Amino acid sequence: MSVKRDENWEPQILAFCCNWCTYTGADLAGLNRMKYPENVRVVRVPCSSRVNPQFILRAFQKGCDGVLVCGCHPGDCHYATGNYFTRRRFMLMQRLLEYNGIDPKRFQARWISGSEAAKFRDTVTRVSQEIKELGPNKKFQEEWYSEGGAGNE
Amino acid sequence: MSSIIEELQSTVKKLLEDGTVGYVIGWGATRFPDRTTPVFITRPEDAHKLVWNHYCVNGTAKYALDDRYPEKKIGIIIRGCDSRAVNRMIQDNQLKRENLYLIGIPCDGKENPVCEGCQHKNPLVYDVLIGTPVEEKINPDRFKEVAEFEKLSQDEKYEYWAKQYDKCIHCYACRNVCPACNCKECYADQYRVGWQGKQNNRNSNQVYGLTRAFHVGDRCIECGECERVCPMGLPIMRQTKKMLKDINDLFGDYECGLNDSRPHVLGEFDLQDRDEFM
Amino acid sequence: MSRIGVFVCHCGTNIAGTVDVARVAEAMKAEPGVVFATDYKYMCSEPGQQMVKDMIKEHKLDRIVICSCTPRMHENTFRKMLKDTDVNPYMLEIANIREQCSWVHTDKEKATEKAIALARMAVAKVGRDFPLFTSTIPIHKKALVIGGGIAGIQAALDIADAGYQVTLLEREPSIGGRMVMLDKTFPTLDCSACISTPKMVEVSAHPNIELRTSCELEDVSGYVGNFEVTIRQKARYVNHDICTGCGLCETKCPTKVISEFNQGMSERRAIYKSFAQAVPAKPVIDPDHCRKLQEGKCGVCQAVCPLKAINFEDKDTTFTDTYGAIIVSTGYQLIQWQDLYPEYGGGRFKDVISGLQFERLVNASGPTEGHILRPSDQTEPKDVVIVKCVGSRDPKKGKSYCSRACCMYAAKHAHQILEKIPDSNVYVFYMDVRTPGKGYEEFYDRTRKDGANYIRGRVAKIYKEGGRLICRGEDSLLGRQVTVEADLVILETAMVPADGIGEVVHKLGIAMDADGWVQEAHPKLRPVETQTAGVYLAGTCQGPKDIPDTVAQASAAAAKVCGLFSKSEMETSPMTSKVDQSKCCGCGHCEVCCPYKAITLVEIDDREGPKKIRRTVASVNSGLCQGCGCCAAACRTGAIDLLGFTNDQILREVDALCQ
Repeated sequence: MSVKRDENWEPQILAFCCNWCTYTGADLAGLNRMKYPENVRVVRVPCSSRVNPQFILRAFQKGCDGVLVCGCHPGDCHYATGNYFTRRRFMLMQRLLEYNGIDPKRFQARWISGSEAAKFRDTVTRVSQEIKELGPNKKFQEEWYSEGGAGNE
Repeated sequence: MSSIIEELQSTVKKLLEDGTVGYVIGWGATRFPDRTTPVFITRPEDAHKLVWNHYCVNGTAKYALDDRYPEKKIGIIIRGCDSRAVNRMIQDNQLKRENLYLIGIPCDGKENPVCEGCQHKNPLVYDVLIGTPVEEKINPDRFKEVAEFEKLSQDEKYEYWAKQYDKCIHCYACRNVCPACNCKECYADQYRVGWQGKQNNRNSNQVYGLTRAFHVGDRCIECGECERVCPMGLPIMRQTKKMLKDINDLFGDYECGLNDSRPHVLGEFDLQDRDEFM
Repeated sequence: MSRIGVFVCHCGTNIAGTVDVARVAEAMKAEPGVVFATDYKYMCSEPGQQMVKDMIKEHKLDRIVICSCTPRMHENTFRKMLKDTDVNPYMLEIANIREQCSWVHTDKEKATEKAIALARMAVAKVGRDFPLFTSTIPIHKKALVIGGGIAGIQAALDIADAGYQVTLLEREPSIGGRMVMLDKTFPTLDCSACISTPKMVEVSAHPNIELRTSCELEDVSGYVGNFEVTIRQKARYVNHDICTGCGLCETKCPTKVISEFNQGMSERRAIYKSFAQAVPAKPVIDPDHCRKLQEGKCGVCQAVCPLKAINFEDKDTTFTDTYGAIIVSTGYQLIQWQDLYPEYGGGRFKDVISGLQFERLVNASGPTEGHILRPSDQTEPKDVVIVKCVGSRDPKKGKSYCSRACCMYAAKHAHQILEKIPDSNVYVFYMDVRTPGKGYEEFYDRTRKDGANYIRGRVAKIYKEGGRLICRGEDSLLGRQVTVEADLVILETAMVPADGIGEVVHKLGIAMDADGWVQEAHPKLRPVETQTAGVYLAGTCQGPKDIPDTVAQASAAAAKVCGLFSKSEMETSPMTSKVDQSKCCGCGHCEVCCPYKAITLVEIDDREGPKKIRRTVASVNSGLCQGCGCCAAACRTGAIDLLGFTNDQILREVDALCQ
């Protein structure tokens, strides 16, 4: 893990993007050569409803400073209703995390359609900026007690 | 009180004698006057061992999960909270109503702080009712504790919970006693998919605590068993109650385990749900 | 141990211009499981693909990671490539280092670092890939069309003409739907019955069409290619195998009932054909009004029937058949305006009629034999008011949408009145006139030239004074109140989905919009499909439309069905959900959130200690599952998982990202 106290500290941001809308929107941003910070990494999922809230916890555990879940706009879901479940799950998850001390800015969900390349760029740029201001996330981070690492195997 | 015990014992005796039930789950005396223990009465002549007093604190319903396919009906002596547990486990397809014989007993609160906020002292579902219903009261402070806690700063909240989870010994007692924790195999016990670490340290305990809250929070019947059994005294219900509070705020009035509770608050949606993710 | 090969594409300078591709490949060599890593100019090119194939042989690779453009571009290309190798096509992951890295970043150092992280995530994921196999499902080449209006008729005929078997289901005793009730069709004014009844006859005579009237959908299970459909045949009390449709029974039946077909403006008998050209041309008994069935007395029809076709003991029966595809064409009905618009009399005034009632009035085979006569006193009206948008474009009382056909048929009604009644005056109250269609605007122009008075505004109140109806409204162009005295008022009411559509939708596992119309899979690109594979839409069940659009959509749906039937089997994506039944506790949380009804709870044999038990677990129908993974996130125990995007794989990706 990198030392996170230096001047040039860059946050680590994970974005779960649904294949049909946001991932396509992110591709379109590339096609249009839009620019956004390098610190955003996309994990492709078929639908935002695929994202298990436990994945978010895992990301914080492993040292992510911010997590984004992005999907189609409600009503536009490729699978008809998936994002309505996403909406319920993550409204609760965001509040539960806040209740446990995680700033809501560190875990956000957004609807970004396949045509909204600019919204994708703006969203990740803004989230990146917000998290930069918050600084590195230490909460919920795994501590490495033994050589064997987290012992998940 | 004594007449209720007699009624209880004679009812159980009769049920065992006529073969309605295979056994009855209830409370029995211990050598301490202020303690009772869950008992399984299998013979009619043992019915007198049942007690009913201020110290009958253990939940009785979850034991039925250890015998999901009984040959005869399981008799369970249930208070209001136990009846909600039964309802919830039936909604989760874990118990079948026809396998249960429910001996309801109105409860005026036990030696358990959670009873003070109880809104359902009378069993909501039963086959036979012992004694007479007691007066119910609405608890206006149902989420007061949560609301107070919400006011703390993020760092204060984190510090509070971190200290709590430092105390946690990762014993899973809260899981084992919870009627909403009814998976066949808990995610935390799996090692093929590394959901989370199993060691007893702050982070593993935090992740376990939060995951547990999310897994059961939408189905928490507020019986408080998790807190009662926690050997380290963690305020576990404060997490699940937060979930319940948010569900109430966001998706409408919600209480679990009632006869007409919505069974899947996270497995349904409303097109008009609030949208914060635009 | 896995043997992973990583191939980093330059994409000319598209990637290599911003990302140090050689460094990415070099970095990957250090990742666990990677036995080979290289970079190449164009991975998707023929030599690029050949290199992958060669390296698979040389290094005995069993998993491939390609760092290139978006998987949306070439994932299938590389999967196809792997079909010729020993590597399973699903043991492949693509790291998107072009659209989501080199094209959006400029700093070469940082972009390279990101590309390495993305590649590492793909390596972590591919390490947890396992072989997946596409399966094929047979296609049962028989289609079910639900609803025998013009949409269903057209779809059934098209499919049948292509040589496939069709069952056409209609809940009424006759097919024909709404179109056959109409008099003339705009803008050409050809006779509606003259163009629809031949099609009805064609349906009944077509060797490939099985016509099922008085039938309703009872239950649907299965999936595309293999729907098991149970259909309820309602009791008709007339044996149609024997009946010749001579009509003697109808003339002798003593019970008179309001005619639905003539919109309540005439009577039929309790044993009846809906209308003269009904198909099938055989009567049924209306059990709610038949004296024999209600009171046990009468039975005249049975006595007079020369063929003894009447059977009062008839019962509802059900039958089950297998269909490869289903077309929903359940149509529309008109909004119940009486409850919504008390200011228009709420149905108390006999001479305030709906557009469909007017169609029957003006129809030569209707209750007045085509003479426009007031229902109250059978006199010819001189002043007629037509009110448009009754229930349409009125979110407060009715529906917010536009019913699309009303502007045109209002013009048609105005034209017909002016044509049939000399010296008549027609006033049309309108909000806007919408005429998007071939020849539509011309027709509207012609109507105005015929003398129809168009008044822009809504009618606020209709009341009776003397024998006449007083319509008070606003002329919003002149900005003043207007009062028109009329003999007859025609309300052009909104279309709403047919009664019972909710049940059909529920049984088929498809979706409805907020107004109850059936939801298409995509409003632009998949307008006749639903989100359930193998279920298609035709006509007004999807939303208000006129006859040309309905017929076009019906033919489009039929073409989709024929396309499906042109293959004998269908390949299904293996990236579906899968249940580990040993872990599943059968709580059903996955079942409720599945949009495709692909998950059902089933009972399996199991043991608990020495005891044999029947245990409930979830089961996924991979023919129905579309692979969204909503169930996998709902499952607390992780018993249900999405192949290709398993919990394990996503967790590995997250871990790799933060290394």
